[in-house]
Amino acid sequence: MTRDEIKDLVLEIIEDIDEDADFDALDPAEPLRDQLDLDSMDFLDIVMELRKRHQLQIPEEDYPQLATLNSCVDYLEPLLKDA
Amino acid sequence: MKYPFLIIGSGLSGLAAAIRISNYCPDVLLLDQHSRIGGLNSYYYRNNRLLETGLHAITNYAPKKQKHAPINKLFRQLKIKRDEFSFKEQIGSQIHFGSDQILNFNNDVNLLISEVERLFPDCHDDFCSLLKKIEVHNPFQNTTGLSARKYLEEMISDKRLIEMLLCPLCYYGSSVENDMELNQFVIMFRSIFLEGMFRPEGTIRDFLQVLKQRFVDQGGTLRLKSKVSRILVKNNTAYGVELDSGEIIEADNILSTAGYEETLALTGRDLKTRIGKRLAFIESIFLVDDSIKNNLTTSKTIIFYNSGELFNYQQSAEIVDYRSGVICFPQNFQDIGISDPLEIRLTHLANYDLWQKLSSTPEEYRRVKLQCSARSAETAEKIIGIFSDNIVYQDTFTPVTIQRYTLKHEGAIYGSPRKIADGDIGFTNLFLAGTDQGFLGIIGSMLSGVSIANQHFLTKI
Ligand SMILES: Cc1cc2nc3c(=O)[nH]c(=O)nc-3n(C[C@H](O)[C@H](O)[C@H](O)COP(=O)(O)OP(=O)(O)OC[C@H]3O[C@@H](n4cnc5c(N)ncnc54)[C@H](O)[C@@H]3O)c2cc1C
Repeated sequence: MTRDEIKDLVLEIIEDIDEDADFDALDPAEPLRDQLDLDSMDFLDIVMELRKRHQLQIPEEDYPQLATLNSCVDYLEPLLKDA
Repeated sequence: MKYPFLIIGSGLSGLAAAIRISNYCPDVLLLDQHSRIGGLNSYYYRNNRLLETGLHAITNYAPKKQKHAPINKLFRQLKIKRDEFSFKEQIGSQIHFGSDQILNFNNDVNLLISEVERLFPDCHDDFCSLLKKIEVHNPFQNTTGLSARKYLEEMISDKRLIEMLLCPLCYYGSSVENDMELNQFVIMFRSIFLEGMFRPEGTIRDFLQVLKQRFVDQGGTLRLKSKVSRILVKNNTAYGVELDSGEIIEADNILSTAGYEETLALTGRDLKTRIGKRLAFIESIFLVDDSIKNNLTTSKTIIFYNSGELFNYQQSAEIVDYRSGVICFPQNFQDIGISDPLEIRLTHLANYDLWQKLSSTPEEYRRVKLQCSARSAETAEKIIGIFSDNIVYQDTFTPVTIQRYTLKHEGAIYGSPRKIADGDIGFTNLFLAGTDQGFLGIIGSMLSGVSIANQHFLTKI
């Protein structure tokens, strides 16, 4: 997957969790949690959805790397390079 | 087949956990001993009419836009759109104490604040500081076992106000005599007084149907009339269950919603000592023809009452304790079409042992049941007006009925006084959710299923 595809994937997953999520003003360098008002249950869903769709096992200690949209892409890029 | 996930109990906690897990792993087996799903919150048919077993009102009402309200979190976690249901808010409820004190409340906390000021002018400031404290209290911290009564006594000078506040909260969610565990109190206070009460349009059957469909659509398997008689364990690990038919089903992970002591008993590890007294209830349903509408002195949704000086929320010494109770009018929600006949539901504390003894002589049991429901109606009529002459159908469930249909020890709706907040009952792959995990009521038990699934099961997918 390209970086753009990964970005779309993450946004699509978030949209599934919260259909009212507003991406227009989203700053990819700032924490998703604050901007989109996500909580830890929502974050777990992002992780579980990545596991379901791409069989990715993301260990709990890596969760902080999913904090911003940019960091998500950085973290997922090598894992999804063949996807 | 060996199931990766097996869930005991298709009550609301089991259903919620089943939906949550099967969304990521379809091989989930959900078992219930009863022929219907729903557990305590189910339904049955009499006279061609559907009667609900355990729905007065659902707590935790919040508008859709409050994203972090428990109810919205819950639906998000289950991936069910709230719009699939139409929620009807309560009209308004009351707490009646003694012969003359009536405190009104509804889904707007400002009414409660002004009512407290009207009845207890000296306590207005106390009450406002209580609200502030409750707002910032984190009920999910690990300080369990503190007394809500003590907490209230430190802040509120009028004992009567304390009792009046505790009355609805105990009735809708305390498994402890004459008190509540503090965190539980904060959860219940928010869900009843700050958020509020509603019911879905339609019946609990429609609500359960949506949940069941979601689970089945995700590939989950539901088996009813499948009573687990043993959970098979080796050392501290469970490897399956045995049904009372003798069938053995293997599983990697098991979630039990059958209660703490009940689950331990299934593993063969009975507790040596009893954990305090369990609270049992009796509930009567009256269908009355709607010509009595003019006799009824109320159009409220729920009335919690206590006729004595003190509020006694404890195991009843008599077969039924009529001194306090709950009166519910399931049609008194906003924009719910008036049903004919009307329904009135009355709940009191009751004594399990006495009912259990009676049940060995079925005729006597039936006779006493009728007697008790008549007495219960009489008690309520003092508050809501006369309706006894217009009853077209009535039914009563006792602690024995509740035990028979849900296998809850002693028919104790709110389970054991001891709660296991993290669901860990000493096994590597067998956990507890539902009533004895500690979140009570319809929304509470579903959140319990979801949070225990998140904590202990999703990580194993
Ligand atoms: C009369 C009454 C009125 C109520 N009113 C309200 C209300 O107005 N609002 C509200 O929010 N809540 C209300 N409640 C409370 C609410 O119904 C419960 O808190 C909630 O449904 C509990 O769900 P649960 O899944 O924890 O337990 P349960 O519903 O008890 O589910 C446990 C399930 O496990 C099954 N089971 C047990 N043992 C076994 C076994 N060995 N093998 C197979 N299956 C087994 C049982 O059959 C049951 O289906 C009421 C309850 C009652 C009884």
